[in-house]
Amino acid sequence: MQDKTVAMKTIQEAQPAIQPKEGPKPAFEPQDIPRMLEILDKRMNRLLASSLAACVHCGLCTEACHYYASTRNPEFAPAYKADLLRKVYKKRYDWLGRLFPVWVGGKDLSPELAEKMYDLIFGACTVCRRCSLNCPMGVDYASIMATARYMMAAMNRLPEGLKATIDVHLETGNNMGISEEELVETLEWIEEELQAELDDPTARIPLNQKGAKYFLTMNPREPKYYPLTIQAEAKILHAAKESYTISTKYWDATNYCLFIGDGANARKVAQWQAQDVESLGCDYLLAAECGHGYRSIRWEAANWLGRQPNFKVIGFQELMAQYIQEGRIKLDPSRNPKRVSYHDPCNAAKSGGIIEEPRIVLRAAVEDFVELKHNRQFSYCCGGGGGALTMTEFAKRRLEAAKVKAEEIAATGAKILATSCHNCLDQLAEINRHYKLGVEVKLLCELVADALIIE
Amino acid sequence: MHYEGALRFLMEEVQYMALAFMAMVYVAKVLWFFRKPGVRDKAPLKGDPAVGAVVSLGNIFMPWAMESTRLHWFFYLEFVIFHGAVALTILSTFLVPFQLMVPGEGFSRIVVAAMGLAFLVGLRRLVRRIARPELRLISAPDDYFALVVLNLFFLSGIWALGTGEAAGMWVFFIMTTFFLIYVPFSKISHYITYPFARWYYGVNFGGRGVIARAVKASN
Repeated sequence: MQDKTVAMKTIQEAQPAIQPKEGPKPAFEPQDIPRMLEILDKRMNRLLASSLAACVHCGLCTEACHYYASTRNPEFAPAYKADLLRKVYKKRYDWLGRLFPVWVGGKDLSPELAEKMYDLIFGACTVCRRCSLNCPMGVDYASIMATARYMMAAMNRLPEGLKATIDVHLETGNNMGISEEELVETLEWIEEELQAELDDPTARIPLNQKGAKYFLTMNPREPKYYPLTIQAEAKILHAAKESYTISTKYWDATNYCLFIGDGANARKVAQWQAQDVESLGCDYLLAAECGHGYRSIRWEAANWLGRQPNFKVIGFQELMAQYIQEGRIKLDPSRNPKRVSYHDPCNAAKSGGIIEEPRIVLRAAVEDFVELKHNRQFSYCCGGGGGALTMTEFAKRRLEAAKVKAEEIAATGAKILATSCHNCLDQLAEINRHYKLGVEVKLLCELVADALIIE
Repeated sequence: MHYEGALRFLMEEVQYMALAFMAMVYVAKVLWFFRKPGVRDKAPLKGDPAVGAVVSLGNIFMPWAMESTRLHWFFYLEFVIFHGAVALTILSTFLVPFQLMVPGEGFSRIVVAAMGLAFLVGLRRLVRRIARPELRLISAPDDYFALVVLNLFFLSGIWALGTGEAAGMWVFFIMTTFFLIYVPFSKISHYITYPFARWYYGVNFGGRGVIARAVKASN
């Protein structure tokens, strides 16, 4: 079933040596400090420098953060969290700060300060960029947080679950360590299910098909826990009579290296994906409904690789909107009669620009669509961003910080909450249970698949 | 009104020297900044970076574009008054030495009124910074000092431009000199760093189709 090509071999050769399996260390040590400062120096670009220098401590970003909005803990104010690195910047780069650090809030980086950074920058920030959208000075908090996270992760001080997810991805090519055999078996089963559902033996899930127009990626949660999502995607693509394929090599849409600002390993993952798409000669990489996965391959990959890949990238939400607008699929919204609201994944909206497409999809696919109070790029993070779901040590705080989102969901009276991201999906499902919201959480493709009119 | 002797020296030569010093520090800062690598998406763009940059830079004039200013409209109004008064006060330091502005008359009355309002705003901002825990937590001595010293500057300006007294002029221009030397090193220099931050943010997220839509979208 697999199409093993020379290009595939090249990809395998490009795979890095297996990462050491040691767990993250429990605390920073004094010898980490010079290396962390070296990283800060190397990563200092104009966006980071201007973001560190421009903050005037006005505090207008405070209420933009879902951690603060839900708990009113002043330590969760974005400016305070960013100041943990800004203090180091002021001591190291600011002229007045070098002479009189106390005067401008400058501070030497110490293991104690680094521990505070670990607690708040991993444990109380999802790098959602909502604070930046509400900052009068244009401070890009995400670049500050990514730098701080990498300074810590490079010292092997990062949440264990996040490290494990990245290690597994780098070792096996996908973040859940799903073997090729397991994947193929799942996809063959789903193909049979799809054919039975449509009563159409021509409904296929093509694997490793050279020259297909679209190279469909998946979040590993799909083959592992949500195979019906793959069925929904395949149903839509079949209805649109689309030419697509799934690779059995680098099909994983995710790139958790983004969450620790690890450009080198993020580049490796992006390179595998790019080489796989290019070796199959596909025109487009079709990114699964995965917020950070879309952002990684659509926007960051070219920056990491230093070149534009020889294919275009489109999100599944974007393609569904395109099909609807072009009349390539027909939907019957009465098949989704319950009230639906939509949560915008931060990486897709605030960092990715997918803002109106989900609305085009929902208006065509459901009868009663209502917006959350804060929507589009102004949406509050659900709390599942930035790799937060892998950080079990911060789980209690993650759920507390979701209070503001839970209240907004409840206020809509929606019975279904749609989203376009697997991390959001899982976090929203947890919010649903924790706050007893009584909603169903679904991906957009599931609603579209339910509404499809197959001719 | 004609100014003579030492006061005239303070108003002109000393100001020019302090201005030249300020310009030198800013040039050095900007050169340092431009030695750092720029950041620009290499992927095919969805939006227009130029529009993003313009919208981002114009954000200051669009309080409706951000939830933080839309909900806190009084804070935005204070911002306009405070910064407007700062601009008028700076303008006065250029007009007065050349007798283009007569203390106690005409335009100077408007400037004095603006400084009076800005003084009240400054006091309120100081109270806010002390009273709110999340602001106390992020405030350094420079944050408090900037507000205190600007309020003193407004008071000296009210004295000088309201009455035209020589003593008032001395205090006002000594404070102006102090600002020209101190500001490039303090948070007050945010007017130099702010356009860079907004530019880069606007270019990057305008290109991704996020920023320019922020104006149209509603919460």
